[in-house]
Parts: sequence; structure tokens; C-alpha cells
Amino acid sequence: MTLRLALRDLRGGFAGLRLLAVCLFLGVMALAGVGSLTAAVLSGLSDQGQAILGGDVQVEMNQRAATPEELAAFAREGEVSRLVRMRAMAAPGGGGDPALVELKGVDDLYPFYGEFRLRDGALADRPRGMQVAIGPELADKLGVGVGSDLRIGEGTFRVIGVIESEPDWVSQGFALGPSAMMDVDGLNATRLIRPGSLFIAAYRMKIPATADPAEATRRLQRGFPAAGLKVEDRLNAAPGTRRFLERLGQFLTLVGLSALIVAGIGVGNGVGSYLDGKRGAIAMLKTLGATSAMIFRIYLVQIGLVAAVAILFGLAAGAAVPSLVVWAAGDAIPVPPGTGIYPFALILAAGYGLLAAFAFALVPLARARSVPSASLLRGGVEDSARAPFWAYAAALAAGAGIAALAVWTAPMPGFALGFIAAALLLLLLLSLLAAAIRWTLARLPKPRAPLVRMALANLHRPGAQTSRLVVALGAGLTLFTTLAVIESNLSAQIRSTIPARAPSFFILDVPSGDTERFRATAASAAPDAELRLMPSLRASVTAIGDRRIANMAELPEGAWFLRGDRNITFAAALPEGARVVEGEYWAPDYRGPPLVSLDAENARAAGLGVGDTLTVSVLGREVEARIANLREVDWGRLGINFVIVFSPGIFDAAPHSLMGTATMPTEREQAFARAINRDFPSVSAVRIQDVLSTVSGLMSQLAAAIRAAGAVAILAGIAVLIGALAASRRARVYDSVLLKLLGATRGRILGLQAMEFALLAFILSLLALALGTGAGWYVVVELFELDWSPDWGAVLATLGAGAGLTLVIGLIGALPALAARPAQALRAL
Amino acid sequence: MEILRGVDLQVEAGETVALLGPSGSGKSSLMAILSGMERPSGGNVRIAGADFTGMNEDALAKTRRGRIGIVLQAFHLLPTMTALENVAVPMELAGEGDAFVRAAAELEAVGLGHRPGHYPVQLSGGEQQRVAIARALAPRPALLFADEPTGNLDAATGAAILDLLFARQLETQATLFVITHDPALAARCGRVLEMSDGRIVRDRKA
Repeated sequence: MTLRLALRDLRGGFAGLRLLAVCLFLGVMALAGVGSLTAAVLSGLSDQGQAILGGDVQVEMNQRAATPEELAAFAREGEVSRLVRMRAMAAPGGGGDPALVELKGVDDLYPFYGEFRLRDGALADRPRGMQVAIGPELADKLGVGVGSDLRIGEGTFRVIGVIESEPDWVSQGFALGPSAMMDVDGLNATRLIRPGSLFIAAYRMKIPATADPAEATRRLQRGFPAAGLKVEDRLNAAPGTRRFLERLGQFLTLVGLSALIVAGIGVGNGVGSYLDGKRGAIAMLKTLGATSAMIFRIYLVQIGLVAAVAILFGLAAGAAVPSLVVWAAGDAIPVPPGTGIYPFALILAAGYGLLAAFAFALVPLARARSVPSASLLRGGVEDSARAPFWAYAAALAAGAGIAALAVWTAPMPGFALGFIAAALLLLLLLSLLAAAIRWTLARLPKPRAPLVRMALANLHRPGAQTSRLVVALGAGLTLFTTLAVIESNLSAQIRSTIPARAPSFFILDVPSGDTERFRATAASAAPDAELRLMPSLRASVTAIGDRRIANMAELPEGAWFLRGDRNITFAAALPEGARVVEGEYWAPDYRGPPLVSLDAENARAAGLGVGDTLTVSVLGREVEARIANLREVDWGRLGINFVIVFSPGIFDAAPHSLMGTATMPTEREQAFARAINRDFPSVSAVRIQDVLSTVSGLMSQLAAAIRAAGAVAILAGIAVLIGALAASRRARVYDSVLLKLLGATRGRILGLQAMEFALLAFILSLLALALGTGAGWYVVVELFELDWSPDWGAVLATLGAGAGLTLVIGLIGALPALAARPAQALRAL
Repeated sequence: MEILRGVDLQVEAGETVALLGPSGSGKSSLMAILSGMERPSGGNVRIAGADFTGMNEDALAKTRRGRIGIVLQAFHLLPTMTALENVAVPMELAGEGDAFVRAAAELEAVGLGHRPGHYPVQLSGGEQQRVAIARALAPRPALLFADEPTGNLDAATGAAILDLLFARQLETQATLFVITHDPALAARCGRVLEMSDGRIVRDRKA
């Protein structure tokens, strides 16, 4: 019977529950969309793990080829394909500006999985000998095409095609330049591979279908614990990309959850005003013998039905997001995402939606339950019925359910918890502020102008929607402002602060014997250039104190220098951009037993201090050194700096190269790059500006994704505003009709409405500015530890747009009241 | 605030009682108490064999089922239900299986047997009040309350509604309790109570 009565009552249409439906739809769509997209990209990574990795198992090593023992071990796992990759400079054969490329030399077996394909018009299906295939960006950048010559290292190569598909591109991590691919003979002809140069040798294994890649990975890791091998398998190809995507997905989910919470306020408002409109029917049903429990059930079923329909539509729209994103911005995504349905993401979004609907609808529902039948006898009296305690408790439990679900499904639970706590704090703060605003407005001296008085009164009179609007729109605007503050701060950091102090070039792979000639070339091309070069060699930490890294079950958190291979240096004097915070730096002419200087932060994370020992392995030789001092390094300066700095005299004779920076006026950069490329084809001079624009390009794609998720919060806020306008429509029509009867023109009435919403928009903007800036400051300064330099123009523009929208929608919503004809309206009221 | 001050009233089954009095005299409050729509803050109420004293709202709602019918000035039909459904609701709420059969018969009795599927907005004021009377009487209540039943109707329609109300009362033998300002309506009742300031100041047989 409950269902029958609920359905009968719904015949009046969904109109009253539109706000509930729209808000739930928006919130669920955002969450389902973010969840589906993340799942799609991650499943793309998993499904194509073999192709992305280029094999079932891959072993990478830095600056060396595999030893015969290692090769034998690889061959025992399966067929082995070998490739070498490195960063190099490529310049058009006839001269011109060089560009940084990700150079790859492959053997005939490449690729084991996936398809390497060139665009139509290629001269061959793959490059051989003195041939190269290039990425489309390189063709654009250098103005070269099929048939052109390209100088890489000491060889000149014929471009035989533009790469259309390179399946293992993603697993190579962050790329600074486009691709250039050749075979092993070609790579040898560049003469770029020499002792000390920075290259990665990769060995990919195709194992029998029945073999377990994870087992093979473990075998290889166990077999060569100290060799600095990076072993990955197809089950977890591109772990860095995966981790990044998971974290981005979580962040977007949290932004989506904030949107859902704003939407939840709309749900509460929608249900509240819907049930207000049903007071007569509820009272009558009670008069006819319905109990409170029956009333509660009838409307619970009704609201549940509408919520379910809205959630279903939200899920459908969200499920379509991956396909839409592929269609609109496929290039921005690292892996072609799967385009299927991702049930877990959808179930999760539906769960959030249901919990939110429950949390926000329960209190108004419980309140409706206590509408007395006697209210039929006294129309219009506002009753202050409070919902029973259990309703608040159940709503809180549902809210806690949302938080628990978010934390439980988060890759970083602590971050999720912090975010949710911050969101709750924001809502609490906004509710308090809303109460304070109403309280203050009610106690301001009454202005003499009647319309101003009414505008103020509209914001605080009984039944005014101010509190709900402040909370809902305030939360949306605050979220948006926070994102704008963070984003503008980050891009300002990249655009202005860093480049002002940053060098012009990173210089890689200067041969250690050629340093003086290199300095001479640099000085003649750019006489005023400041050149800083430091020796660089690959090493891996094998022990701290008497503890072997290989025997440690887990590395201390934050001590990332203990993991794998890294570049170390040796220096007589304290390197630039660092200061000693503990111990003392060695004398410039020190030639005693090995000493080492560590970055203070890393050392503390590893539990190391001055006097402890550290053992590193360089080209198979282990060196134990005593920690002489800890340095604090300013990594933000974009200089070249090292976590581990050795005292001189230990590695001077080991094969190494130099790396460093060159700083010069912008107008010298081109000549410098050309001269270095001409005389030192094996040296990479990476223009910082290019790197920064690559990074800021990535940043703006990220920002766009975050803004899209944040925009849903604004949309939900707008839905709440429209709902509030609809709820107060009768009162507004009544006011405007009475004012017209008393002689007010339409212009003055519109002025009154404009004043009311301008005041609201102004208050909301101030709130959002204060709270959003505070939250943004916390993230930028406390979490990211960056300088505080937001772009106030961008922040204020974002905020202004939000406030302007509030005003415009408020005024459009007020127009029907303005158009009401007194005689007609009074009859209908 | 004290609205009713020491009202002592006994009404016999089948009586027709008019309750007269100026606005604010307590007529509606008395009706709310007698019909179980509201609980008194003190005193005893026994209606049709049930002791209303001390019952909570839900118990009152259940007690009203089948015992008490109510007709209001503003009709208060449920806008999303058809005429037939409006009449059937109280019997549905009481869990009676033949609710729709009896509702149809009652609609027939008030002269609206030909419009069962119409919604309230598709009916005139007089027709809406007929549906309300049918809804009040269909469960065969022992007591029928009517609060200004013709207040929203023109004179001719109002007269027709009163004829119907009294005719149906006679047929069903329900005790009828009418609140009104209209002396002509009061004159049709067997007993007239006049209220002032929360008290019954006159109680006369017509």
C-alpha cells in the first residue's frame, strides 16, 4: 500500500523533486565519470601491459650493458630483445637549431608485443643502419620530413618515416623530447655510447605463456641484488605512471565528493521544500488515519524512487565520460583507455549517491512525519517541528559512511581523510558564518529607503534561504577559488619565479677528458655564459652503516636515494645552492679516506647522521665512506645538485662524464645550442624553457581535469540557487504584487532584487576569497612547500565569474515575480 | 495559551449539532480535540466508545479510522489522486480489501458516479466538496465533523451541498457536528451550541 500511495502521489510529477534529481545527477555523474575514466586508463595500462613494457619482463640498467652472467640469466627466462635509450640532440642535416630527442636503438626482435607502425608514406617499415624514424613532434619542430637528413651524435641519418605507433612509449616515463628510433648499428654510428654517458640498456624477455612473470621478476631480483637492476613485469608496466594516475584519480574523486556534498545540500533543500508543499496532503492523510510511520514510508519510497532514477542517469552519463574524453582529448591521455563499462567505479558512485541522498533527505523526511493533522485547520502557520534525534543520528551515520567509503577506497587514505576533514570543517564554518550573517543583518539599523530595507529583510526574514545559499554556493565558490589559487600559484611558479633564477640549459654528457675544449667552445659562442659543470657517475647505495640495503625488507619512507641507481658526484668545494647544516665540509685539498656529504632531508629519513658510514657501488666496486656533513639543498633553483657528494680523489679515475648548467642571456641561447651541437654532437644541451613549457603543458592538462571536476560543484551550487529561488517564488510574487499595488515601478522592484542578490554575491565572494585563499595557502605553502605567489588577477576573475553568475541567475529567477499581474496574482495567491 | 476553558459536552449518537461562535471563540480547537486531530493539554475526551485521553498522534490516527469522518471548508482533496482514489484512501489506510467497491458506491450516492477518474482540478468546487463528503462517509463513521462545509461555495451550490450532507447523515445515522457562522445552517441541526472565549455559553435544542 505504501508503494501504491507513493506512486499515486508522484502523479503530480517530479517537478517538486527536480532539485533533488538534478543535484544527485550532477554529483553521481562527476564521481562515476572520474571513477570510470581512472579505471579505464588503469585498465588500459593493465590490458596493454605487455605492449607498454615491450615484453613480459624487462630489466633496465644505467650506463652499462649486461654482463655475460646477467645475459645468461635473462636467456633462461625466455627470448631476449635488447634496446638502448638515451637523451640526445638531433639537428637537421643542412644545419639549424638542434632539438632534444628520446633516442632509442632497437634490435630486430623489437617489439615483442604491440605494433610499431610508421605513418603512410614511409620509405621502409622500420629503420636500419643509417636510417631513423622520428616522432611527429620532431618533424614539426625541426621542419624535417621523410627523406630529410638528421644529424644525431656523429652520424647523419635519413628520415624514413614518421612514427604513428610506438607501443612502449608510456613505460619510458616522463619524456622531455619527441622520439627518434634507429637500430643497434645506427646507434653505434652515433658514437654516443661511451664510458660515463647517460644511457639506459633495457633487456626485454618474452617468457613462455605458462610461466609466471612475477616469479621471473623475483628470480632476477634475487639473482643480482646489488647490480642496480630495475626489473619490471607486464603485470605492473609503467608503475610510476600508474601511481600518478591513481593519485590523480583519487584527487579528482575527492573534488567530485565535494561537489556531491554541495549537491547534497541541494538534495536537502529540494526534499525540504517538496515536503513543505506536501504539508496539506500529509495532514489530510493523517486526518484520514495514516500514522507518522506510514507518512515517513510513503515519502521515503517516493524520494528513493526519484533518487534512484537520478542516480541511474548520473551513472549512465558518468559511464560515457571515458569515451567522451577520448573523443575530445585523446592525445592528452598517456594510454588509450578501455571504453567498456567499469562496474566497480559505477557501484562506488551509486553508493556515494545513495548515501548522500539518505544523509541529506532524512532530516526533512523525519520532520515531515511530524506534520500535525490539525495544521489543516490553521493554514499558513509555520511550525517549528524538529526531526527526532534518531533522524539526525542516521543522517550522521550516512555521512560517516561516505567518509568511510572514500577513505577505504583511497590509495592514500591519510590524504583522503584530511581532505574530508577539511571539507567538513568548511561546511561547519559556512553554517556558522551563515547564521552570523543572518543575525547581523537582522540587527543592522534599518535603512530609510524602503526597498533597501526590503532587500536586507529578504536575506534574514523567517524562511529566508540565505543560510542554505551561503553554505551551498559558498562551498562551491570556495572550492573553485581554492583550485584557482593553487593552480595560478603553481603556474606562476613555473612561469616567473623559477626561470628568473634558473639557468638557460642543462648540459649532459660532457666527456671528462674534453672539459677544457667544451669550455672554450661555450665561451666563444656565449662569452658571458656562466658554466657550472660537475662530474657525474652512476652509483647505487648498497649499505648504510652495517645494514645491507638488499637485506632490508622495506626502505625507510622518504629516503628515496637508497632505491636503485642514481647520479653521484665528487667535489672539492661545497656545491652551489647548498649549505652545510651539520658537520663540516672537507678542505679543498683533502685527500684522506673517503668522506661523503648527504642531503640533510634524505639522510634524516634514512636515520643517518654525521659519523655514520655509507657504502656505494660504482661500476661493481664498493666504496665505504664516512658521512662528514649534511647539506641543505635548495632544489627549487633548478640547478644541478646531488644527494650524495664524495670527497675528491676516490672516483677521479673512474669513467664519468660531466653535467651541469649554463646561464646566459636569452639572445645567446640559439648560438650556444648550435655551437655545442656542431662541436660536441654527443653533448645534450637541454633548453630549460622547453622543459618548462613541456611541464606547464602537462600542468594545464591536469588543471583542466581538476577544473572540470570542480565545475560540477559550481553547477550543483547553481542548482541549489535555482531551487532556493523556486522555493521562495510565491513569497516573491506576493511581495512584488503588493509593491506594485502600492505604486512601485517594475524598475524599482528589479532594483530591489538586484540589490538582494548583489549583496548575497558580495558576501559569498568575500567568504570564498577568504576561505579559498586560506585553503590554497595551506596546500601551496604547507603541503607543497612552495613560495606563495598566487596570480590574484586569475583568482579574482574566477571568483568574479562565480559571483556574477549568482547575480545573473538570481535576477533571471526574479523576472517571473516582476511579470506577475496584480489582479491575477492576488486571485491565485 | 489556554484556548478551551472547561468545556463539558455530551452528544448522543445520531444527533446533529451546530457549533456557532465568532472567530477565535474556540470552535475549531474544540473540533480538533473532538475529532482527535489534536490532543488536549488536560481533561478527558471519549468519542464513540474510545478514550482519546493520553493517546499519541499515531494512536489517534488509527482510532479515527472508520470512526470519524471530517469535511473541511477548503475540501482538502489529495490533488494527485482521482475522485475515486480520494474516497478510497481512508479505507485503504485501514487495510480494507473492498475499499474501491465501497468508494464507488459512495461516489454514486453523492451523485458523482459518472466521474470517478477525474482529478480534483478537473472538478468544480461543489463537486470537490461532494467528493470530500463521500470520503468522510464511505468508511461509515459514527461521527462526522464538518468545518464550514459551504464556506468556499456560492449560495446555490452551498445549499445543494447541505441538502446532500443532511440526507447522507440521515441515511448513515452518523452523529453530525457542524461548525458554522451561518444561522440558517445552524437552524437545520437538532442542537445548537454557541461558543465564546473558549466556553460553551449556550446549548439549545432547535
